[in-house]
Formats: sequence, C-alpha cells, structure tokens
Amino acid sequence: MNIDHNITMNGMEFRTPLLTGSGTFGYGDEFLSLIDYDPFGGVVTKSLSVKPRKGNPPPRICETPGGGVINSIGLANPGVDVFLEEKRHVLPIDKTRVFLSIFGETVEEFVTVLTKLEDIEGISGYELNLSCPNVKQGGIAIGGDAGAIAQTVRECRAITDKFIAVKLTPHHTQVAPLAEAAAKNGASALTMINTLVGMMIDVESRKPLLGTVTGGYSGLPLKPVALAKVWQASKAVDIPIWASGGIVNGTDCIEFLLAGASGLQLGSVLFTDPYSPGRILKEMDQYCLRHGVISFRELIGALEKP
Amino acid sequence: MIPPIAEIGRVKRAEEISPGLWDMAIAAPRISTVTQAGQFAHVRVSEDFNPFLRRPLSIGPISGDDLRLIFHVRGEGTRLLAAKRPGDAVDLIGPLGHKIDVPAANNPLIFLTGGIGVVPLLTLDTQLPTSRKRIFILGVRSTRTIPVTLEEAVERKILWASDDGSLGFHGNTVQLLQKVIDELDPNAKPLVIACGPGPMLKGMKQFCEKRSIPALVSLEVPMGCGVGACQSCAVPKSDGSGYYLVCKDGPVFDAKDVSLEPGVLP
Repeated sequence: MNIDHNITMNGMEFRTPLLTGSGTFGYGDEFLSLIDYDPFGGVVTKSLSVKPRKGNPPPRICETPGGGVINSIGLANPGVDVFLEEKRHVLPIDKTRVFLSIFGETVEEFVTVLTKLEDIEGISGYELNLSCPNVKQGGIAIGGDAGAIAQTVRECRAITDKFIAVKLTPHHTQVAPLAEAAAKNGASALTMINTLVGMMIDVESRKPLLGTVTGGYSGLPLKPVALAKVWQASKAVDIPIWASGGIVNGTDCIEFLLAGASGLQLGSVLFTDPYSPGRILKEMDQYCLRHGVISFRELIGALEKP
Repeated sequence: MIPPIAEIGRVKRAEEISPGLWDMAIAAPRISTVTQAGQFAHVRVSEDFNPFLRRPLSIGPISGDDLRLIFHVRGEGTRLLAAKRPGDAVDLIGPLGHKIDVPAANNPLIFLTGGIGVVPLLTLDTQLPTSRKRIFILGVRSTRTIPVTLEEAVERKILWASDDGSLGFHGNTVQLLQKVIDELDPNAKPLVIACGPGPMLKGMKQFCEKRSIPALVSLEVPMGCGVGACQSCAVPKSDGSGYYLVCKDGPVFDAKDVSLEPGVLP
C-alpha cells in the first residue's frame, strides 16, 4: 500500500511535507549531483538581503558533544541584485517548490528584497527570517517584538499573494503573541524554530570555538526545544507550522507531525546525510504501515493526552 | 570540475602506523578514478549523528580502485573512523575541492609538509611526471609520529625536519625551507606547495612573501556541508574584500590571496 504523502497548506499542495531548512542548502544547486529532489515538497533557500553580506569571521562552525552543531555564518549572501543577475537561474523550480528566504535589518529592507524577488517566475513564495541569532541588527531584534513582526508581515503581504512563511526565534517563553502577530497579518505558515544561541570554549587555549564567540545551535539536542515550540504555536494559531530543529530520521518527523507541524524542514542533517530525504520518507512510511495510517495528514496534531 | 560523487567505500586495509596515526586503504572505484591531487573526501564517521558532521580528509595516493586516508585520532569522530576494519563500509562524498594546479614548466617544486599535511603532496607526487624536479620536505614532532612508510620516504628522498632533532634537520620546516632555497641556483624560480599545521603555513607565507617566492597552500578548517552550500569553511581574502570557501574555492589557494591571521587556522 502506498502511504499518501500529500499535504495541503493554506491552499497550496505539497507532494510531501519535507522541506530544506534555510541556510543549509544554498540556493539549491550545490547539492545537485548528490540529492534527489523527489522526496522534497519544497526547498527554502539561503537568506537574501538588500546588500551583499560577507558573513562572520571564522571559525564559523563547531560541534558539541551529543550530536550538536553551532554555526556563525552571519547570513553571508551576494545581495538580492547580484542574486537576480547571477544565481536566479540555479533555483530548482523545475524540480520542486522553491521558497526564497529573506532577511532585512529593518522592515523596509524586507519589503525591498521581496519586491525585487517578485520578478522571478515559478517560485512558490518566501520565508521571512525574523530570527537569525548571528547578526547584530534585524534578526532576533525584530523577531522578538510582536509589533515589529506584525508590521513586517503586513507590509510584505501587501505586495505579494504568494506563500509567506515566517521563521520565529525559540528565545521567548511566550510563543503565542509572536505567532499570533504573524498569523493575523497575513503569514501563510510559521517556521518553528530558528537556532538557539550557544557557545563552546576550548579550555586549553581559553578561546571560544567560534569567531563571533556565540552562534546558532542546531542538531540533535535542539529537537525537544523545537517540539515544544511547534506544539505551543500550533495551539496558538490556525496556520500551518513548518517544524525545524534536530530532524534526522522518520521518527523525528512523526513526532513533529503529532505535535502539530505540517511541514518538516531538514537542516544540518543534509550536511552529513544528503540522501536523508528518501530514507526519512521510507521510515515515516514504515511507521504508518505499523499503525494503520494511510496518509501523513492523519498525523498532524494527532497527539494524545498524557 | 566533476560534480561530487556519493559512494560507499569498503575498508581494505587499516593500519596504525604510529600511535594514534592511521593509514587506511578504502576501495572506492567511482571516486578513485576521478580524484586529482589536492582534492578531499568528506567522510561520515557516525551513523547516529554523534558527532554530527562529516570529516574532510585529503585523498592520499590512488592505487587502482583504492584511495588512501591518513589521519590522526584527534577526537570522537576520528576515533570512530579508526575503529573501522577491513570489510567495513565508509560513507564518502568526493572528490571535493580543486586540485593542486601545477603550472607546466621546468622550475623546481618544493613540497613543504608537516605531519599529515604530507597526504595531498604524496598524491601529487604520484601524479606528476617523474622528470619534474621536486624537493620534498616533511616536518614531524619526532620519530614517533611519522605519517609515511619507509619505502615512500626513501623513494621520494624526503628531507626531514623534526622539532626534537630526532630525525633530519633539528628545527622547523620553514627554517629548512630557507636552507633548501638558499642552496638552489639563484635563477631556479622554485614554486613552494605547502600543507600542514597553521603555524608552519603562516611562517611559510611570511617567508615566501619576503623573498617573493610564489607559493600554493592547502588549507584545512572546520567544515560543514563540503559542497559550498553552508559557507562554514570561510577564510579571509587577503585584500579584505570578503571570504573564500575552503571546500569550493580551495582547499588549495595561492598563498598571497588568503589571510592566515590568528583564528583562521585551527
């Protein structure tokens, strides 16, 4: 029996719930020879900003015990104009849905980038990165303020009918006000969560392992945090949730669906296992077969009471 | 450049050649047949993502279908890799990065290597015409940490430098490099190709710039995806205009193009 992988989110059909996490997949071309796009419902690109960003001083990545990774890339990107000139053609729009991630230091910058990207034919929408921990302005500064989230989403919604996912930070005990601010102002979905702020120290040299001292913590240890935020957000709003945080296998995905997610972002896992999307779908299918589930849709929010 | 290939290799030989120093032959025919000296393999060390990331390792000399990996056990990842035995599977992505581009000319090459930094130059040595003159310098801490076989050392007429004086030149490789260059014909126009620990590379860059000697340098830094997507493996451009990615733009660079300021190399 074939399990039905199809998910409809806010009127948009996705052939599977699997997506890429922004920043882990470039603009979709780097992994071309290694990755099968069929298991993906869509890909989310690396964030684009108005001006080029060189990114942060190295080292930009380190590992933590227990299967964690901390990165400090600093949203390195060529800027929206160079992207449109040189990179737009690499987007895998003939293979899967493409969502362009946007970053701005101000609301105006989000609007400027989105306006320029509206020229690209064939993309499905955007993800607004309102939560990067590795930049001094914008990022968490906007994403921690319900008023700023509301304004950013409202102004972006005013210029596009396309899908808009809003990526939120885990650094707030109260998820609901931020989630509601996005949902009420036209967000099509929420992405929960961006990385946690973390750091590591080499005690021998007494130096931090990252050039910026702190960075964004991802990998296995993030999953319980992400699960809780996804669950809380799904209680607070009616729009679909894209889960992001520590997904490496089918069980992780089932957990996130049960907690209320509709989309499942694969992030750091792609570095280590670029073939994980196909494997993960198979593992999810096996779970469904064992439990008499015929469609992934049945699992969304199907968490039982304790 | 050939797009990266995903291949499950099989360990054919695993040998601890010095304490904590492993020499492994892995049958990986698809990657082996297209690998050029200087390129690396991104090696998965843990099935259960703990540690999470792959390890970028220089591809050593190719022999038929087999490639060689020579590595130090430095942490959990390399410990897991060293635990593999003949017949075990090794998940590889490769060959990644650019080859060492040696201009076709007659000027002598000086391979300046330290520790396991010798690996890409061993590979280059097997791929260069025998007529091309090269001088092979290898620095080690002591006789207890020798990353090549006796045969390889003899065949290549390796000039040794050791920190403790137990082998060859007593001192560091850059001091030996200076001695070697001073003994060359003043019109020889050597090209230095270096791979090894950070302090050695910094010293080499300084020396070569002072003496206007062209040099290539192969870099190793913490890395994520290995294919240019995550941008973790950044090294500053020396003109301050931004960063190169070691995985995609390197790992081999013209030494004058990259800044090796503190913090860049581990």
